[in-house]
Amino acid sequence: MRIAVCVKHAVDETELKIDSGGKPLLSGATSRMSTFDKNAVEEGLRLKAAHQGEVVIFTVGPSDSKKTMKEALAMGADKGVLVTADTTSIDTMRTASLLAAAIKKAGPFDVVLCSEGSSDTYSGQVPPMLGEMLGAAFTGYARKLEVNGQTARVERSLEDSLEVVEAPLPVVASVVSEINEPRYPTLIQIMQAGKKPLEELNGDQLQPAGAYRQASVVSMSAQQSARKHVMIEGSPDEAAAKLVEALIREGVLSK
Amino acid sequence: MSGAVWSYSENESVSNEVASAAADVAKGASAEPVVLEIGAVRAGVRAPGAKLLLKGPATSDVPPEVAAEAIAKASKQLQPAAILIGATRYGREIASRLAVKLTVGCLSEVSKLSADGNALAGERNAFAGKVVAKVSCALPAIATVKVGYYAAVESAGTAVTESDVGQVNPLVKVVSREKKAAGAVDLRSAKVIVSAGRGVKKKEDLPMLEELAREMHGALGCSRPLSSDLGWLPEEHHIGLTGVTVKPDLYLALGISGQLQHTAGMKDSKVVAAVNTDKDAPIFQASDYGIVGDLYQIVPAIRKALASRR
Ligand SMILES: Cc1cc2nc3c(=O)[nH]c(=O)nc-3n(C[C@H](O)[C@H](O)[C@H](O)COP(=O)(O)OP(=O)(O)OC[C@H]3O[C@@H](n4cnc5c(N)ncnc54)[C@H](O)[C@@H]3O)c2cc1C
Ligand SMILES: Cc1cc2nc3c(=O)[nH]c(=O)nc-3n(C[C@H](O)[C@H](O)[C@H](O)COP(=O)(O)OP(=O)(O)OC[C@H]3O[C@@H](n4cnc5c(N)ncnc54)[C@H](O)[C@@H]3O)c2cc1C
Repeated sequence: MRIAVCVKHAVDETELKIDSGGKPLLSGATSRMSTFDKNAVEEGLRLKAAHQGEVVIFTVGPSDSKKTMKEALAMGADKGVLVTADTTSIDTMRTASLLAAAIKKAGPFDVVLCSEGSSDTYSGQVPPMLGEMLGAAFTGYARKLEVNGQTARVERSLEDSLEVVEAPLPVVASVVSEINEPRYPTLIQIMQAGKKPLEELNGDQLQPAGAYRQASVVSMSAQQSARKHVMIEGSPDEAAAKLVEALIREGVLSK
Repeated sequence: MSGAVWSYSENESVSNEVASAAADVAKGASAEPVVLEIGAVRAGVRAPGAKLLLKGPATSDVPPEVAAEAIAKASKQLQPAAILIGATRYGREIASRLAVKLTVGCLSEVSKLSADGNALAGERNAFAGKVVAKVSCALPAIATVKVGYYAAVESAGTAVTESDVGQVNPLVKVVSREKKAAGAVDLRSAKVIVSAGRGVKKKEDLPMLEELAREMHGALGCSRPLSSDLGWLPEEHHIGLTGVTVKPDLYLALGISGQLQHTAGMKDSKVVAAVNTDKDAPIFQASDYGIVGDLYQIVPAIRKALASRR
């Protein structure tokens, strides 16, 4: 079985600095593997363990992304394909079309895995776009995934229900974090990851089809929050009574 | 391009929110807001103007693959200026597929939508809510609209027109669908939300918080781990970046650490109060009132304080 896993080198939001004018300092921000993409890699490895084959990591991003790809290789993926592009200026559709072009070039694949949404910009759009572009079945928010013969059986977690669906291979799926517990690579695996093949494709040469006007970011500013920060002290009974009093005074609690 | 701004959600109450967004956009684009129905007209779906029924699919219970194909077919005929889809788990798939089928850009997770010149503009969170970004895309454009921001549209709607989109044969077959535990909540319209985090030790303790919510005339919400990892509550209870956005008069966070991804979904609440055993928990930075303490002691004490006022 050939398994493609799409992994994003995402800005680490915990490290992101805001300048004195309230603007995020994106250039020079540290990046790491998008949180839930670890679950996608883990699921790919789990499928490989059950069905043999190989796991190939696909990333669209700057060459710094190799750091993240090596982490996926250390977890156990077999090789990586990096499509170099300036991800700060492309929208979800361009990202998906670059991924689709690279996946087609290295294909065919039986299963293509993504996560439900990236930890930095969480659009949740790249996975279904990929499904559509590859002409494959797509199923999102998988919390369980099994392949039997030429059919994938997926448990999808929706807002108020669990849906079981079946789809013919090849299938594109996005996973939720509950699907598995991602492994940590060992030191030896981390050292060996450097020797695994990592191909680089130039995004400009993977000319994606179809011209359109991309979605773009107009401006960014730090989230403002003005809260009172009143700490209420005393025994549980005293503190609770003071809190209830304060909330009534605020007019947010009807008696 | 026709002067129409379409809105759609498979979820009736989300559809009513997205219709409000469409009304705002339509105003700026001197266009008409049009609410889409697929397969059949739903009684709970309201509209600021007309409804357009896409006929072909057998019922109104349509999977995202079918919805996207139906809307794409109609769109190629009728050429709307913008299509707004509720950012639910189905909705994100519908909008993304539509963007590819129609080759147009797609804003994601937006609120405060408007038509700005010849573009669709909106605001969204990024970097776990640390940043607010203004985004835009030239018309015709698509957007997924953040759930919980817009008030539901009030008017029942005017005429229904029909468009035949024929049959769609999806690749993905639904084998079964099972409701998750516990009844439906409407966190989006609740004035008070009592929200449970991992500080709650076991599922059996949730009724205590449910009681408190009831006594405050509110609803129970939760952090993502409680619905996703632990499965104690359905996903629609979960507040934050990946869940619902809420802005009640009072948000009472119990045993929630206050990670950015959580506060992104409740930061517009009027008053925020928090109870946490850890005095350094980030939730206190996002709160008006804080109590450092054990929720298992504080919750009964709050209930007692409320009871003594009746
Ligand atoms: C502040 C801000 C706002 C933005 N708003 C919009 C917007 O409204 N509309 C829009 O079209 N674009 C927007 N973008 C651009 C968008 O973030 C990028 O196009 C990004 O490359 C893909 O979006 P995502 O990470 O949100 O994808 P998601 O769809 O959330 O990603 C889901 C999964 O797809 C895979 N994936 C995503 N990106 C990559 C990648 N580069 N390489 C490998 N796998 C990947 C991963 O498996 C990931 O977990 C915005 C960017 C910023 C900085
Ligand atoms: C891409 C992405 C998206 C995410 N989206 C969301 C989202 O939409 N919503 C969301 O909620 N999370 C989201 N998360 C997860 C988020 O980062 C946090 O992990 C999560 O919010 C933590 O939940 P918690 O506060 O309940 O648990 P914890 O962080 O474990 O906090 C539990 C808190 O309870 C306190 N406590 C313990 N015992 C008691 C007691 N007896 N009384 C009082 N306090 C007590 C502890 O001091 C602690 O502060 C997302 C994560 C990622 C990576």
